[in-house]
Amino acid sequence: MIAQNILRRPIRTVISVLAVGIEVSMVMLVVGLTHGMLHDSAQRIGGLGADVMVQAPHASMFLGMTSAPMPVKLGDYFARLDHVKAVTPVLFQFDPSGVSLIWGIDMKTWDRVTGGFAYLRGGPFTGPYDLLVDNWYARQNRVRVGQVVKLLNHGFTVSGIVEHGKGSRLFIPLQTAESLAEQQNRASIFFIKCTNPGYTDSVINAIKKLLPNYTVLSVQEYMSLLTSNDLPALTDFITVLVAIAVTIGFLVIFLSMYTTIAERTREIGILKSLGATKGYIIELILEEAGILSLAGIVAGYLGTWAGRMLIHRAFPTVTVEFTARWAVWAAILAIVGSFIGALYPALRAAQLDPVDALAYE
Amino acid sequence: MEPIIATQDLEKVYRIGRVSIPALRGVSLTVEEGEFVAVMGPSGCGKSTLLHVLGGLTRPTSGKVLVDGNDLFALSDAERTRFRRHKIGFVFQRFNLLPTLTARDNILLAQHIQGDGCNPHRFETVTNMLGIADKLAQRPNELSGGEQQRVAIARAAICEPKILMADEPTGNLDSESSAVVLNMMRSVNQEFRQTILMITHNPEAAAVADRIIEMRDGQIISK
Repeated sequence: MIAQNILRRPIRTVISVLAVGIEVSMVMLVVGLTHGMLHDSAQRIGGLGADVMVQAPHASMFLGMTSAPMPVKLGDYFARLDHVKAVTPVLFQFDPSGVSLIWGIDMKTWDRVTGGFAYLRGGPFTGPYDLLVDNWYARQNRVRVGQVVKLLNHGFTVSGIVEHGKGSRLFIPLQTAESLAEQQNRASIFFIKCTNPGYTDSVINAIKKLLPNYTVLSVQEYMSLLTSNDLPALTDFITVLVAIAVTIGFLVIFLSMYTTIAERTREIGILKSLGATKGYIIELILEEAGILSLAGIVAGYLGTWAGRMLIHRAFPTVTVEFTARWAVWAAILAIVGSFIGALYPALRAAQLDPVDALAYE
Repeated sequence: MEPIIATQDLEKVYRIGRVSIPALRGVSLTVEEGEFVAVMGPSGCGKSTLLHVLGGLTRPTSGKVLVDGNDLFALSDAERTRFRRHKIGFVFQRFNLLPTLTARDNILLAQHIQGDGCNPHRFETVTNMLGIADKLAQRPNELSGGEQQRVAIARAAICEPKILMADEPTGNLDSESSAVVLNMMRSVNQEFRQTILMITHNPEAAAVADRIIEMRDGQIISK
């Protein structure tokens, strides 16, 4: 009977399934995008090969969200510390036109800390307005070596395309970044390579002793902090979006079941005349909502998969990361939302007077 | 032997705003087990209200209804629903089959609600007797009025309720289909010993019954 009811009203069924599907997809894509981008950022920082990172006091965990520059000369001090193999300064430049974070790097020290770039095309900077891009950025923006790319209101010539996974996706010479920022001899962050990773804590302690207010972290610690669970603002953002998604699912199922009940008042009267109890009718309606919800969850998983494919195709630099935990959560939220949405219509149907219901036209 | 249905001074008053409309005015009647009783009267005389009260679908304003020895309205809603499920089957003028289900599923639905599962032997006996064995795969909109009503009778009779209440069962049928349906009801009454209480305003339909009760203005004028 439930299956027949679902099949008999195909438009209602499709809309309900789509709504729950959108709810599930929205939850999974929002969480997947957030986790994916954070994880990707963390991986790219990890991929530098540095052991310690130093930022100015009160600097944001989100690199590039604050300029908070430090004197480049601090790097010389760090380099003289015991167990430090190399230090490289980076000055961040945010390009609002392309929503890109550009790293100004000193190629000589950069190579010593990171082991250098793996060039897929072209080579290092040869002029002040040269630009290195990673292969994901190049693919997304169809950029070739020798092409001029407009960033920070200047034309930069792409000198090389590098393998992704080292810090940023866009790199310019440090001096050019300083000049554009009108901040000479300044750095937003220092990356430090220890002679042995086992000396990381000792180097951190030495820096903290001298610069107690500075943000000094091991790269490993930074990577572990870069999860949405440790970022309250992101947790709130995810919560709000998940709440919106669940509300959409709830409202559509509510409306769908409510109109179904109105449409099927007479049928409910028939069931009551046959001796169906209130519990039987409630169960019938909740089961129907449950089936719509399950179909919606499957549609949502398919939609999420399709959404990820489209995102990857359109924006290769964007990472969407799914976890089984959130797939289960999205399903639970959809089922709970549908259950609550169907509960009131179900209770209303159960309360219908059989004689009135049978007389319903 | 105690009558299977007994009512005492049944009153039912509908209130629409401040207006009170009496539908039943002191109805007292008895129906013996296995009887086929027709309740006749003009439209608005309270026949359907009486059927709904006797079937436990609506509560009387006052009075008492004993069905198979149970005071129907001393039971809780849930108890009355269970009681109705096991003791009473309904047949309606508009057939009231579920449009999404086949004839077979409409009949099986009653068994499902009763929760005793399908009794294949009973199912076969009832559908054969009512001549709908070859119509079971069809949906209501693929059946004629007479066939729909026979499916409705099968649904009402399948769980072997003691009483079958029919509200104008031939009201939407042509004379040929009416005759078939009335014969079927008679057969159900005779073969399964089910008590039948049939509401009708058609004297020809009423003539099939063992006894005719006439109503007018919410009262019984002849038994």
